[in-house]
Amino acid sequence: MTEDSQRNFRSVYYEKVGFRGVEEKKSLEILLKDDRLGILPPHHESHALVMMYRKDQYSDIFHALKVIRFISDTTPQVEIYLRMYQLELGKLPRSPSFPLEPEDEVFLAIAKAMEEMVEDNVDCYWIIRSFVNQLKNKYRDSLPQLPKAFEHYLNLEDSRLLNHLKTCSAVSKLPYDLWFKMCFAGCLPESSLQRVWDKVVSGSCKILVFVAVEILLTFKMKVMALNNAEKITKFLENIPQDSSDAIVSKAIDLWHKHCGTPVH
Amino acid sequence: MNWTLGGSITSTPYSTSRLTLLSTPGQLPQTLSSPSTRLLTEPPQTTLWSPSMVCGMTTPPTSPGNVPPELSHPYSKVFGTTGGKGTPLGTPATSPPPAPLCHSDDYVHISLPQATATPPKREERTDSARPCLHRQHHLPNDRGLEELSGSKGSVTLSDLPEFLGDLASDEDSIEKDKEEAAISKELSEITTADAEPVVPRGGFDSPFYRDSLPGSQRKSHSASGTQGTNVNSEPLNSSLDKLGSDTPKQAFTPIDPPCGHADESPADSRERQSSLETNILTPSPCKIPPQRGVGFGSGQPPPYDHLFEVALPKTACQFVSKKTEELLRKAKGNTEEDYVPSTSPMEVLDRLIQQGADAHTKELNKLSLPSKSVDWTHFGGSPPSDEIHTLRNQLLLLHNQLLYERFKRQQHALRNRRLLRKVIKAAALEEHNAAMKDQLKLQEKDIQIWKVSLQKEQARYSQLQEQRDTVVTQLHSQIRQLQHDREEFYNQSQELQTKLEDCRNMIAELRIELKKANNKVCHTELLLSQVSQKLSNSESVQQQMEFLNRQLLVLGEVNELYLEQLQNKHADTTKEVEMMKTAYRKELEKNRSHVLQQSQRLDTSQKRILELESHLAKKDHLLLEQKKYLEDVKVQARGQLQAAESRYEAQKRITQVFELEILDLYGRLEKDGLLKKLEEEKTEAAEAAEERLDCCNDGCSDAGIGHNEEASGHNGETKIPRPSSTRGSSGSRGGGGSSSSSSELSTPEKPPSQRASPFSSRWETTIGEPSTSIPMTVGSLPSSKSFLGMKARELFRNKSESQCDEDGMTISSLSETLKTELGKDSGVEAKTPLNLDGPCSSTPNPDSVGQLRIMDYNETHHEHS
Repeated sequence: MTEDSQRNFRSVYYEKVGFRGVEEKKSLEILLKDDRLGILPPHHESHALVMMYRKDQYSDIFHALKVIRFISDTTPQVEIYLRMYQLELGKLPRSPSFPLEPEDEVFLAIAKAMEEMVEDNVDCYWIIRSFVNQLKNKYRDSLPQLPKAFEHYLNLEDSRLLNHLKTCSAVSKLPYDLWFKMCFAGCLPESSLQRVWDKVVSGSCKILVFVAVEILLTFKMKVMALNNAEKITKFLENIPQDSSDAIVSKAIDLWHKHCGTPVH
Repeated sequence: MNWTLGGSITSTPYSTSRLTLLSTPGQLPQTLSSPSTRLLTEPPQTTLWSPSMVCGMTTPPTSPGNVPPELSHPYSKVFGTTGGKGTPLGTPATSPPPAPLCHSDDYVHISLPQATATPPKREERTDSARPCLHRQHHLPNDRGLEELSGSKGSVTLSDLPEFLGDLASDEDSIEKDKEEAAISKELSEITTADAEPVVPRGGFDSPFYRDSLPGSQRKSHSASGTQGTNVNSEPLNSSLDKLGSDTPKQAFTPIDPPCGHADESPADSRERQSSLETNILTPSPCKIPPQRGVGFGSGQPPPYDHLFEVALPKTACQFVSKKTEELLRKAKGNTEEDYVPSTSPMEVLDRLIQQGADAHTKELNKLSLPSKSVDWTHFGGSPPSDEIHTLRNQLLLLHNQLLYERFKRQQHALRNRRLLRKVIKAAALEEHNAAMKDQLKLQEKDIQIWKVSLQKEQARYSQLQEQRDTVVTQLHSQIRQLQHDREEFYNQSQELQTKLEDCRNMIAELRIELKKANNKVCHTELLLSQVSQKLSNSESVQQQMEFLNRQLLVLGEVNELYLEQLQNKHADTTKEVEMMKTAYRKELEKNRSHVLQQSQRLDTSQKRILELESHLAKKDHLLLEQKKYLEDVKVQARGQLQAAESRYEAQKRITQVFELEILDLYGRLEKDGLLKKLEEEKTEAAEAAEERLDCCNDGCSDAGIGHNEEASGHNGETKIPRPSSTRGSSGSRGGGGSSSSSSELSTPEKPPSQRASPFSSRWETTIGEPSTSIPMTVGSLPSSKSFLGMKARELFRNKSESQCDEDGMTISSLSETLKTELGKDSGVEAKTPLNLDGPCSSTPNPDSVGQLRIMDYNETHHEHS
């Protein structure tokens, strides 16, 4: 009840009318307070200090990378983030010309999306770093389960579509990496991606599944029209971005429907 | 013309009632009311009364023409009623007065000449009841017409007034006004001119004459016109003669009325024609030529017409032209024989002159001059001049006389009118007075009657008043009696009322007493019942008493028996028992007080316990708060520590990367095969490096590293007393090598160290030592030599509060000595690291120490509590 009281009292009416973004903002606020990524400690008093540390760390690493000539002024920011992350993990390759690994690609995609969302470089780096770490550590076990969950929920929502996919043998070839590893980075526009990632950050990676299901449901007609698995995959990798907001809203509805009301 | 009649009339009393107004029957219009006509039918002496007659005025006043319609009616009404003679209006035909006037010669002998003149007059009057003045104007006009008809074409002066009247009537046009003004001017001139010749003659009252002139210019003129006809026929003396003969009864008018002459003149002329033929010989103006009467009737122009043109040239011109026009019109309309319709004024003038000359010659012929017999013409010349002169003088004289007469006549007429008006008014007033007197008499009679009745009424009133008085007195007496009775009754009633009140009071008192008695009765009844109850109670008590007494007796007996038995058995134990009892009692009291004290103590202790418990709760609460705070602080510290740790990790990674890089570079160098050269120069390079350290600040980096290396050695000692939680990584660090520890402590010195790394590498390369020995060399570098290293050591010593005070002392002394040396060389370089050193190294360490202290305190506190 305390949580209810904290919620916007108009939310019920808003939901009746069809506005769902109101609650998101609230949840976002709560999320930001909590700082689930762990960049800043819960104590406000130490924020300044910790933030200073973070900045120093960022500048140190940046400087070190510059010193060893791994990056230059012309290096794109996303790559800088990647190199810094690699350095911190101790996985910095011997030479910047070495080919990138798949997980680096994931990082780059996420960094690219995050760069659009966050202005400050330090903040952006730290958020990317924490987000990727979270994906790696916290969802290490749950992420591989997501494709199965996706199939399950798709079956619940629209079994015909799933059957169609299965007949096309496209189930295994769906862009799971794009969906669940990159968390739709590059697939959805940043504005809607933010809402999805908020859920992910706050601890629910299942939202990714529902977003994927909702994408399929939204473009059901097109997917059904396509018979080739590769074509389906290609289409799903480049879905039109104009209806992304609606997709995310519906996905959140689906999430609420199947997993109950979110507990923040 | 009515003089004979008027003279005979005397003012009779009853004539007043008849009234009036009517002047002369001759001038009476036929529309006049009946009384006048009726009067005429009666004997002339009685009937024909008129104010003018009363006054002795002979003139036919102008008033009758005006007055009758206004005055006759009211009076006729009045007298019609009073007189009671309501005879109907006599017809004018039957009425005698006009007839004799006009036609019969019985009354007057003048009727004959009058016959010629009057008919047209009367016609005029019948046509329009014009005012007298107009009539007078028209009189000559008519005559003029007659004359015109007679003379045909010749314009006489007698027509002038009419012409002037016509001119005056057209007052609208301005031209005519102007003309009229000019004419009047001329007329005024004429009158004055006429007056002038009169004066030398004398005999006239000049001022009187002049006064009247401006007022009645026109009239005078017209009169002159009219008189002009009578000039010759009216000599003064003849008129006097006539007065004497014709009007013997008339007592008035020393001067002949001019108007009267108009009518009379023909008669006179006739008379003269008949009787005065003999007087012709005299040159007096009164002599009238016999033709005159005929000429008058035939319209012969007046003898002074010739003067007209001379006197009034303008008016004459206009007059003549007008007349000619009229004549032309007439000639056309009548188709009678015309007298040259287109006669020019010049011709008219000529004719006038001619006629004047003819007339003059005739006159001259008629003159009875002594030298008449002498035929002047016979001598072939005009008559002698003196004769002409005399004639002219006569003419002038006559003219003047005529004017004088005319003036007198006018004056008389005016006076006559005034008097007539007065007379009329007086008559009316008299009549009115008479009526008023009659009324007065009647009213007096009435008054007398009223007086009589008043007396009667007064008598009756007095009687009635007496009666009333008596009645009033009776009534008063009655009232008094009644009042007296009333008072008596009132008194009686009051007495009765007082009695009634007394009775009521009595009744109330009795009632109260009754109530009291009732109360008493009730009370007594109650008391009775109570007493009865008490009685019954007492009876029962008595019974009980008896019973108890019996018991008492029995018990007493038993007691006595027991006492006897007791005395016999225990005699001594009573004392002991009493002692024991007192002892017990005391003991009891003591115990009780003790118990009280104990309970009080218990209370206090309980209160104390409660207090302590509350304290305990407070303490617990505080404790919880402290714990929370501790947790908070812990979390905060953990967060900070984590941040720091991550940073440390990052630094570690950085250093690793650097190491890798360095190693890589070394590896390359080795591969290049430059080792030999380096070995040769190794010793020299070492010396050079030492020197360079002294002079160059580049050496500071090496010193920093070396110092860090040393510091790590110290670290191991200082870290031991610290809690394991913070030092979790210390063990690994110790094993991990010196670089890690150095990185942690010298984070602020990183920039210089980084800067130093290339130099160091260079330096290493110059030294040519193997890469593996680098840490050793770096670590073994004398740290005391570099300023930064000394500073770091100093700081480290402060932070760790280490036991190595001795080293610190020596180092500090060394550093101080070095500071002075190096300060000069590397002043700029040394200051910046110093600045970096201070805050960065000091900020983290005191914090951590403080946290630890707080933690300890909390823990100890917690344990203690």
